[in-house]
Amino acid sequence: MPCENARDQRIVVIDDDDVMRLSCRQILQKAGYQVETFGNGHDGIRRIQEARPALLIVDIKMPEVDGFEVIDIVRKIDPDLVIVVITGYATIETAVDAMKAGAYDFLPKPFTPNELRLIIGRGFERWRLTKEAQRLRREKEDVERKFVSLVSHQLKSPLVAVKQYLDVLMCISREQLPETAAEWVHRSQARLGEMLTIIHDWLALSRIGSGSLCDCRAATDLGAVAAAAILEHQQGPGGVEVSFTASIPPDLPLVRGDEVSLRTLVGNLVSNAVKYNRPGGAVSVNAFRAGSQVTLEVSDTGIGIPEAALHRLFDEFYRVKTPETRNIPGTGLGLAICRRIVSELGGTIDVRSREGEGTTFIIHLSLAEKNAGIETQSGECQ
Amino acid sequence: MSEQKTVLIIDDDRDFVAAIETLLTHYGYRVATAADGRAGLQEAKRLLPDLILLDIIMSERTEGFFVLQEIRRTAALSNTPVIVVSSIYSDQPIFRISPEAGWLPANLFLPKPVEPARLLEEARRLTGGGGSQATVAGGER
Repeated sequence: MPCENARDQRIVVIDDDDVMRLSCRQILQKAGYQVETFGNGHDGIRRIQEARPALLIVDIKMPEVDGFEVIDIVRKIDPDLVIVVITGYATIETAVDAMKAGAYDFLPKPFTPNELRLIIGRGFERWRLTKEAQRLRREKEDVERKFVSLVSHQLKSPLVAVKQYLDVLMCISREQLPETAAEWVHRSQARLGEMLTIIHDWLALSRIGSGSLCDCRAATDLGAVAAAAILEHQQGPGGVEVSFTASIPPDLPLVRGDEVSLRTLVGNLVSNAVKYNRPGGAVSVNAFRAGSQVTLEVSDTGIGIPEAALHRLFDEFYRVKTPETRNIPGTGLGLAICRRIVSELGGTIDVRSREGEGTTFIIHLSLAEKNAGIETQSGECQ
Repeated sequence: MSEQKTVLIIDDDRDFVAAIETLLTHYGYRVATAADGRAGLQEAKRLLPDLILLDIIMSERTEGFFVLQEIRRTAALSNTPVIVVSSIYSDQPIFRISPEAGWLPANLFLPKPVEPARLLEEARRLTGGGGSQATVAGGER
């Protein structure tokens, strides 16, 4: 591909009118552009494919391949190509059609050299801005990737190593440690565990953002995912003692989304319902079909969420700060992850809560396209 | 332990290796270590260990995957149990890779940091107390 700077000046003109080609060439070359002209669509398209100019001027009305067909084909070759249409009939309809087809601007015949220069100048400005925006986006993605890699490897590895030493130390030498030392090591293990969880959650978020998680083509049995999440938390390690009820119809249709993302989503909600509950409290999980969607409700009879906090609940790193939540561990990323997953899968998530009474999270997810149940995906997201 | 079993740790993190070596030695295993994939393969072929602990991301991002493929291609090692120990794997469902997926012929995945009790239990199972290798070599050719 030619270097961007050289492309900056290159124009292809396609027009079956000899006079028009000649005058465009003269005017634009004088203005410092590199101009190539072609008398028919085929030759022009071929040249665009080879030379990748920044800008195309094309006549709408031509024999054989007309301007609309040219636009259609070259858009696929180079979506960034700036197209200016020349139209003999200065009707609004033709111009609108050309813009809809992907043209950037149009020149009604006859036009003055000044009008041509002005529109072409604007077209190149547009092209430069598009390229600049792309460059900045690439740069930003590159920085994000580097940061993810930094966090996932450079930051995580030392934490893992430190925690591994402490884990082994407590396993083989606990008896030889003075009581205070053992207690401090134990606390250090817990704090390191918290940090590793934050890193894990943060990486999960960034993976959702980069599109490497959440497969909309997959179809998953949300009922089975919910049942598994409940089972996991029933058998899970201690914490708050709560009872579970579930209402999940066996014929619940498959929803859009991969199992890994949905497990994370439902797992986070059930885990919250347990964490922010009270001894003797209850967690209920209800799933049902509602039109072209499946609804999943996860309710608890826990401490509830202050109304003022509800609108920030799904923000990254946001945690409700009350005396009751002070000793509940969490990264502030769980619900942010939930919201990202749901939105990637084209669904919605809402919350209803009363302080002191409990909270309900409601998810709506679309039915999977292939609901015959043949192509259910239980595989992994890479 | 009636007969001393040998475990080979292939990992480029010195501290992780030191911790796990101490743990396994404490519980009666003979431990050998290698700091990269090539040395690991050499040691594996020379020692024919009863168990291999293998890290995935060493100096190359996917070094461990190739080491594992090579282990499975080596006749003397093709049935040696391998535990992939890596921080890219996590207990959380979001990064769950299951040995059953077939593309990585390991017997087991354990996330770093490794829970000592869990590692000891799996090591005991895989090195002989009649431990079956039900999940070996999924899609391996």
